Amino acid sequence: MHSSIRWRTVPSILVLLWSISWIWPVMGQTDPVLGLHGNTPRVFALTNARIVTQPGAVLEGATLLVRDGSIEQVGTGVTVPPDAVVRDLTGKTIYPGFIDLYTDYGLAAGTTDGKVNGATHWNSCVLAQRRASVLVAQDPPAAEDLRKAGFGAAVTFPQGGIFRGTGALVLLDRRRPNQIILAEDVAQAMSLWYRDGRQYPVSLMGAVALIRQTLLDTQWYDEAWTKFRQAGPGQTAPETNAALAALCPCVRKDRPVVMQVADELDILRVSKIAQEFGVEMWVVGTGYEYRRLAAIKETGLRLIVPVNFPKAPDVSCLEQELRVSLDQLRHWDFAPENPGRLAQSGVDFVLTTAGLRTRAEFLAKVRLAVRRGLPPETALAALTTKPAEWLGLSPILGSLQKGKLANFVVTDGDVFAGKTRILETWVGGDRFVVTQEPDVNLRGQWTFVAEVPDQRVEGTLKISGTEARPAVTLVVEAKETKAVKVTRQDRVLTVSLPGTAFGCAGWVRLTGIAEDKVIKGHGLLDDARRFTWRAESTAPAKSETAEDAAGSVPKAEFAVVYPEGAFGRSTPPPPPEALIIKDATVWTCGPEGILSPGDVLIKGGKVAQVGRNLTAPAGAVVVNAAGKHLTPGLIDAHSHVAIRGGVNESTHAVAAETRIEDVLDSDDINIYRQLAGGLTTTCAIHGSANPIGGTYAVLKLKWGALPEEMLIRDARPGLKLALGENVKRSSDRYPNTRMGTVEIMRDAFLAAKDYRRQWQTYRQQSQKNRNLIPPRTDLRLECLLNILDHNMLIHCHAYRQDEINAMMEIGNEVGCTFDVFIHVLEGYKVAAEMKQHGAMATTFSDWWAYKMEAYDAIPFNGALMREQGVLVSFNSDSQELARRMNTEAAKAVKYGGVPPEEALKFVTWNAARHLCLEQRLGSLEPGKEADFVVWSHSPLSTYSICEQTWIEGRKYFDLEEDRQLRVQVAAQRARLIQKILDESHKARKDQDTTPEKPAHSS
Amino acid sequence: MKPKTQRMVRIVVLAIHATAFVASAQIPASSQRQPIALVNATIHPVSGPALEAATLVMDQGKIVALGTGLQIPPQALQIDLKGKHVYPGLIESHSLLGLTEIGGVDVTNDYAERGDLNPSVRAEVAVNPDSEHIPVARANGIALAAVAPTGGLIAGRSALIMTDGWTWKEMTLRAPLSMMINWPAMRMGSDDDEASGQQRDRARTRMDVLDKAMEDARAYQTALESPRTNERTPRTDVRWEALVPVLRGDLPVWIRANSLLEIEAALSWAHRHRLRAVLVGGSDAGYCTDLLRERGIPLVVTSVLSLPDRRDADFDEAFTLPRRLHEAGVKFCIAAGSASNIRNLPYHAAKAAAYGLPKDEALKAITLYPAQIMGVADRVGSLEKGKDATLIVTDGDPLEITTRVSELFIQGRRIDLANKHQRLYDKYRQRYQPALP
Repeated sequence: MHSSIRWRTVPSILVLLWSISWIWPVMGQTDPVLGLHGNTPRVFALTNARIVTQPGAVLEGATLLVRDGSIEQVGTGVTVPPDAVVRDLTGKTIYPGFIDLYTDYGLAAGTTDGKVNGATHWNSCVLAQRRASVLVAQDPPAAEDLRKAGFGAAVTFPQGGIFRGTGALVLLDRRRPNQIILAEDVAQAMSLWYRDGRQYPVSLMGAVALIRQTLLDTQWYDEAWTKFRQAGPGQTAPETNAALAALCPCVRKDRPVVMQVADELDILRVSKIAQEFGVEMWVVGTGYEYRRLAAIKETGLRLIVPVNFPKAPDVSCLEQELRVSLDQLRHWDFAPENPGRLAQSGVDFVLTTAGLRTRAEFLAKVRLAVRRGLPPETALAALTTKPAEWLGLSPILGSLQKGKLANFVVTDGDVFAGKTRILETWVGGDRFVVTQEPDVNLRGQWTFVAEVPDQRVEGTLKISGTEARPAVTLVVEAKETKAVKVTRQDRVLTVSLPGTAFGCAGWVRLTGIAEDKVIKGHGLLDDARRFTWRAESTAPAKSETAEDAAGSVPKAEFAVVYPEGAFGRSTPPPPPEALIIKDATVWTCGPEGILSPGDVLIKGGKVAQVGRNLTAPAGAVVVNAAGKHLTPGLIDAHSHVAIRGGVNESTHAVAAETRIEDVLDSDDINIYRQLAGGLTTTCAIHGSANPIGGTYAVLKLKWGALPEEMLIRDARPGLKLALGENVKRSSDRYPNTRMGTVEIMRDAFLAAKDYRRQWQTYRQQSQKNRNLIPPRTDLRLECLLNILDHNMLIHCHAYRQDEINAMMEIGNEVGCTFDVFIHVLEGYKVAAEMKQHGAMATTFSDWWAYKMEAYDAIPFNGALMREQGVLVSFNSDSQELARRMNTEAAKAVKYGGVPPEEALKFVTWNAARHLCLEQRLGSLEPGKEADFVVWSHSPLSTYSICEQTWIEGRKYFDLEEDRQLRVQVAAQRARLIQKILDESHKARKDQDTTPEKPAHSS
Repeated sequence: MKPKTQRMVRIVVLAIHATAFVASAQIPASSQRQPIALVNATIHPVSGPALEAATLVMDQGKIVALGTGLQIPPQALQIDLKGKHVYPGLIESHSLLGLTEIGGVDVTNDYAERGDLNPSVRAEVAVNPDSEHIPVARANGIALAAVAPTGGLIAGRSALIMTDGWTWKEMTLRAPLSMMINWPAMRMGSDDDEASGQQRDRARTRMDVLDKAMEDARAYQTALESPRTNERTPRTDVRWEALVPVLRGDLPVWIRANSLLEIEAALSWAHRHRLRAVLVGGSDAGYCTDLLRERGIPLVVTSVLSLPDRRDADFDEAFTLPRRLHEAGVKFCIAAGSASNIRNLPYHAAKAAAYGLPKDEALKAITLYPAQIMGVADRVGSLEKGKDATLIVTDGDPLEITTRVSELFIQGRRIDLANKHQRLYDKYRQRYQPALP
């Protein structure tokens, strides 16, 4: 019952990779015939063609024999059967028809929305049960657009939703869905970024959580129903859920998932999901893959890649230029190389028309990609054999071989070069004309003779422009007369031109009918007298398409940097084997206190020795820091830097299942800016919109690294909770009071306890009863279980003393500690209780009065809590403030007289302790990670400047290097802007001189 | 012995209570009744070099003498400031002080009037002298603050207030100070980009509103200044009435604009209407220092401690703006903005100093320069004979966070530096004191 697969006619000779059903398209079998039966024979022999049967295989002067929609024969020695209609394709090329794996043919957004009834999933973004084959409408405009671009078949998916439903492979002809569907349920479409108003999920981390939970639920659903059926009566039946049922083939690896993403880092995000659930995933790329090519290659995922190269940004003046960032300029320069770079790196990919403003751009963009490094054979494979192979339909699609479907394209040249036109696209053996070739060519030189009354006008007629829109110039006695208006309708040419050549002052009008090499016509002089004329071809123009605009191949100006754009780096900073910082004032933040002067020896990314007059090992890098101050890297215990797609899943009061680690953004420029302020480690944490936010992540600000590399993977995980005004603000969900907040917390923890018992019972009983239905794995409660099992820390946003007390009481009841209260602006009022509970505090130095619950905030808070034995840190909660945490620490000296050395620990060791990383971070002691900062003055001085920031013995920020990078940014901007202006001004100049429309002048 | 101890305890307790009472009330100081001489201090006039072991005498609210080896009037109260430093009171030049109490509680916010055109509203009349923000600010040396409305295109008239007084009338040093203008968000329209074209048109519509207001006010002024008869006396329009001093050049416009395009448009608008202009914000001012210098437009920098607006910008773009203005010869002062944390004003200046602005310029940017830009340099902003005795006493450089402000005098009045924060600190320390026997 889970499988929505519908087996139809499956030829037994075919072993399909995916269990999809497919059928030969046939004329309406069940439709009644209205009127007369139409039975036109469908047998064609296309002869003398250049046939590219598949990438790399070319037959010259070959014949393609098509009978009743499929290929009967292809080759050079084919005998044309007597019943075939013969078409001579001399000079033409035939390619296999293209296949687009990602379209919305007949399912464009808005056409299939609306309420879905039945046994649906609780979340309206989970619409996996929808099927394109059921929903798809006839879509002649889309079919025509795709055919014009060379496509004969396309997969179309339902739109909207995170789980969107299954796609169908359709033939791009004019028939009803019944006759064009080649295969149903070829893949499940998903989107990482779809949002349905204010419903769960509103954040990226919420979307990831929903996807994970839904796939887990599917696994459970599959197992639960299997066991239920095996066990027979006795157990309660699992729920019926059409969406989960439709997803079962995906978790069984019987059906791939096609995932839409928004950027190149998303590809790494979804690859983790694919791995976790063993799902076969094809990712719809964004055109930015070149930015993280190696990492994307490593995922092993298949990509469906757009050719959505951007138009040049507007840099027409300084004011406009300021709106454009270097990474946008560079993307304009790089984008056309994206497919080529993917090809070179060996990523398995196909091309799609998705992402283009209009499909009419498709071929031009692909050709640009070819000129910029995409091998033509790879391009062809990405449009033919690859998609067919991925679909498991190589036996019928993707190449031109006997027995396959007659989907092919006829062109007048190399489809990936020059201005080659697609002349015909054949779909299922039916011919669709894309470009109407004129059967007479007008362009070229003609002798011209007009028998005008009283005289004979002889000269030359020059016809240029295009065949469809010719331009005409008459040359008589070396005098040129340009026609002001020329029209061409098939073989009839009409021309208006000044009458000088005919000896009159007014306008002369000509009409001619073209035959093979002759135009015969009549004309009217300005006084309405008629005459006849005749032109004969002397030098026909060369085919207008044969020209290959090979020309020069402009390469991207610069190499990729990480992250792309200003201040990116081409490689990670090198780690010196040994490094010694000499003669600095060393604030160890450890038992050694302040050494002035002191030396620190770093080996292998760790602090090896701290002391006076240390000797550097041979070959060590020496940093002379006389007069400078050295501190551990600063740590921000509450930060939102490097988080993508929202920090709040505010829709549900309890969203413990959301994880910051799923949504890290290594491209955030604020990483670099904060490094420039001496920050090395952050606790990247949720906002405070809901009582239980989710699992935070601890990061090192390794600018240029991948999200995964920034993450301190083995840090003890922690859960964000929140109280007070922010969580009770949502009028459409519980809670709306502090009372309710306390209840929701208690309820959540007690639910987790019940959940644990449920699993314990199951584990005991399933020993005896193998068909016992297991409980559903609930990520939300699993997370809370980790708290109860002391595997996770609690970081709890709080303001007022009442709520702080209430939480500690709940903690005592359920047996967990509220490890760290965040903000905790009234912590000074209950410091003794916090101390007793074992709570720590991370607070603002001096923010107050921005809301009611901050009205009693005082800058002495940190000092007073510390006096009472609470371990205190200062945090930023602000991208800007995070750049100057050192002077925040100074405020603990000012307000409450904390000794300077202890005050600095507010942003180093104490913050490390909050994260249970004090064994590794937070002080300069032997064995600790070499995260440190070189300051120009005392770190507590407002005049102090961060000169260098090092993480694990690598220098991630250096004031001098920063100056060089600025110069580089300016130079690269200038270069690319000139390149854009060059291209756009040249294009404009070309446009001005194109004889598209003959100028109306006398 | 025992009764005596008890008595002493009682005295101590009473003393604590008395202090607590005085502290919580924060009684505004009465006007100066006797001369006060600050002696043995390092005095930083800001307008000139520092004077070691110097004396400053104030009387009747004014500085009457300043220097070394001065004759101290016999009736003067002498305060020995050995080891201490005297600076002018700090001036915040763009704030909401007294106009807001709790940002998140709407009913406590009185700075943004509705509608586009609010030239008549006056900031000073809504300043709450009992706002808890005022004592918090002055405890760190903020003696004066410009308070400026924010609502609409023409937001209303700002005022310069002193951070002590029973009523707003007593607190006001200069009102009106300026007419506040919020320049509309702009974008250079591009022909091939629909969105930017729309934004250009929206901005044009907003600028038309500003232009129309100036034209209407001009008409009002003409009517007002023409000979009157009973029939021809114009009926009152309080909006245009408030703009007449602006048109006459008596009251400057302070225009909030940040991006280059907006700054250029705003200055050209002010030029077209012949207005005296001060630019507020100006985060892109570094791109048009020539324009600012040529037109003599001063800048109130409101964003030293902020992130760059653009991805490609230098990380310290905002930190270095004051240095770049200084090097280009553009007049500027530095403001902290908002209300609750204008006590951090000196640290905005300090950040600019850390990133290249000479230290003495940084100090001037929060004392003398704002006074000059506001046209009150004859009264405040530096320590000079004849100026208001508005000054602070510190134990070091006021631009360093760790420095403490120990005294504040406003017009010779010795100000209570207690405040809500100190009060709560004292209160809750009591909670943790071991119980008295």
